[in-house]
Amino acid sequence: MTASTCFATEGLTKRFPRVTALDALTVSAGTGVTGLVGANGAGKSTLIKILLGLAAPTAGRASVLGMDAITQGPQIRRAVGYMPEHDCLPPDMSATEFVVHMARMSGLPRTAARERAADTLRHVGLQEERYRPIGGYSTGMRQRVKLAQALVHDPKLIFLDEPTNGLDPQGRDEMLALIRRIGTEFGISVLVTSHLLGELERVCDHVIVIDGGRLLRSSAIREFTRTTQAVAIEVEDGLESLAERLGRMGEAVAVQGRLLTVQVPPDADPARTFDAVRDAVCDLDLHLVRLEQRRGRIEDVFKENTVKDPAPKEPAV
Amino acid sequence: MTSEPTAVIHDIGYRHYEGPRLGRANAVYALAVHSLRGTFGLGRPARAKIIPILLMVIMLLPAAVTIAAMAILKRPELGAEYPTYAVVMQPVIAIFMAAQSPYLVAPDLRFRVLPLYLSRPLGVIDYVIAKVAALTVALFLLLAVPLTVLFVGELLVDLPGPLHTGDYAAAMGGAVILALLLALIGIALASVTPRRGLGVASVIAFYLFTSAVAGVFYLVLSATGRDDTAAWALLINPFFLVEAVQSALFGVVASNGYPPGPGAFLILVGAGALAATGILLRYRKAASA
Repeated sequence: MTASTCFATEGLTKRFPRVTALDALTVSAGTGVTGLVGANGAGKSTLIKILLGLAAPTAGRASVLGMDAITQGPQIRRAVGYMPEHDCLPPDMSATEFVVHMARMSGLPRTAARERAADTLRHVGLQEERYRPIGGYSTGMRQRVKLAQALVHDPKLIFLDEPTNGLDPQGRDEMLALIRRIGTEFGISVLVTSHLLGELERVCDHVIVIDGGRLLRSSAIREFTRTTQAVAIEVEDGLESLAERLGRMGEAVAVQGRLLTVQVPPDADPARTFDAVRDAVCDLDLHLVRLEQRRGRIEDVFKENTVKDPAPKEPAV
Repeated sequence: MTSEPTAVIHDIGYRHYEGPRLGRANAVYALAVHSLRGTFGLGRPARAKIIPILLMVIMLLPAAVTIAAMAILKRPELGAEYPTYAVVMQPVIAIFMAAQSPYLVAPDLRFRVLPLYLSRPLGVIDYVIAKVAALTVALFLLLAVPLTVLFVGELLVDLPGPLHTGDYAAAMGGAVILALLLALIGIALASVTPRRGLGVASVIAFYLFTSAVAGVFYLVLSATGRDDTAAWALLINPFFLVEAVQSALFGVVASNGYPPGPGAFLILVGAGALAATGILLRYRKAASA
C-alpha cells in the first residue's frame, strides 16, 4: 500500500442473514475521483458503510487513508465526509443552521463552524435560500445541502452515495461538475457511486465496477471508455444486410432489436468505424435513421463480462 | 481620467481548514446544548416557543402567588412548599416532558439525520448521552427556576422565623433525580416511534396511566384497610416515587405517607436502568438500520 492510496480492501466479505452483499472484494483506489458503479443491490452502500467503520465485515480487511476500518472507525470518520443516498435533512432548520451544526459535530469550534459553513454553502452553490427552512427546498438544493454537510469539516476524502439521484439533466450536470471540482480544485479525494457508468466516466479518474458484491473491473477511466466505446446505428430497412456487410469488413457487429451496434476496438480510431458505417450505408442505399456514439453503459460491461466468462469472444464473421 | 476601483471581488477559491479539531466530548456537548436550546424553542420557529414558555410561566405562577402571600401575610409556614412543588405541579411537568422528548429524538429518526451524526466521530452512545442530558437539564430548569424564584422571594420578603434553606436544597436535589428519571423514560418512549405526534401521545399516555393506576390502587387498598400496601401502590407514579426517595434521602416533608426503607430507592434505580437499557437497545437497532 502506498501513501497515495485512499482506500483498499482485501477479500472483503459481508454476509447478511439472507444475502451476501460483498463477496471477497479486493480493490483499491488512489487519490482523485473514483467512481463506484453497480446496479442497485450490488453492494455499493454496504462497502461505504464498512469503509466508514459503521458496519463490521464478515471477513476480510479494509483500510481508509491508511487506517484500519474495523478498529479505527472514529479516526476515519474524523477525516472523511459522507453524503448518504437517502434524504437526511431536518425540514425545519435552515441550510446554514444545519451545516453549522454538522460542522460542530465534526469537532469544529463555533466560529470556525460558521465560517466553514458559509464557505461550503457558497461552493456548492446555495445562495440566499440558505437562510430558509430546508423543508421548502427542491431536490437539487437538498442534494447541495447534503454535499455541503459532507464537505464542511474539510475532509481528506468524501464518500458520495448516488449524488445525482433524482436530479434533472441540468442538475445532474451541475452536480457532476461540482464533484469534478472537489476532486481537482479542492484537492479532496472522492468516492462517488452511481448505477450509470456513463455519467461517472465524465468526472472520474478511476472506475470500479461491482456486481453482486464481486469486482467486475477496476481501471483508469481512459482505458475504460476506450474499451466500451461503440457506435449505434438504426436504418429503416435492411438491417441484416448492413450487419452482414460490416461483418465482412471485419467490424464487431451485434444486432439488438432494431439497433445495430458496432464495437470500436480498444486501440482503434473511432473515426474509422464511422467511415466504414457511412460507406456501407451509402453502398447499400439505406435510409439512415440514427448514428450515434454510445457511451459505455453499465449493461455493456455486464454483457461483455458474461460473454467473456464462459468462452472467448468469437470474432464476428 | 479613470479612477481606480475602490473594491474588487476576488474569487479566493477553496480554502482548506487548518484550525483545531476538537474531540468527541466537545461534539457531545455541542449536541446537548443545541438540543437543550431546542426544548425551549430557541433557534426554532416562533410556534415552537409557545408551549415551553407557556409551561414555564405556569410553573412560576404558584411561586409568584406564594411570594405575594408571604409578603402580605408574613406567615412562616408558607415557606415550606419547596419539597412538594414537583408533585403539586406534576401535570405541567408531564406535559413538558411529553411535548419535548419526541422533539429531541423523533425527527432524527424520521428524517434519517441519525446516520449523519454516526458518520462523524460521535458514536450512538454519545448521541444518546447528549439527548438524555439535554432533556434532564431542561426538566431540571423547569423545576429549579420556580424553586429558586421562590427562595429568592423568601429571602427578600424576610419572613419571621428561620429560612427554609434545607427544604430548598432538598427540593433542588429531588429535582435533579426527577429530571433524570423523567428524561430517561421520556427518551425511551419517544424513540420507539419516528412520528412526533405518536411520541407525544405515548409519553402523555404513560403519565396518565401511571398516575391513574397509582391513584386507583391507593384508594382501593386503603379503603380495604391495607394502608401499608397502599403506600407502595403510590410509587407506580414516577413523581411520587421520586418524592418518596427525596423525603427518605433528605428527611423533608412529603405530600403522602410513603413506605419506609430503601424500597423506593431500589425501584427508582430499577426504573431508570430499565429505561436506559430500552434506549440503548432501540438505538443499537437504529444505528445498524
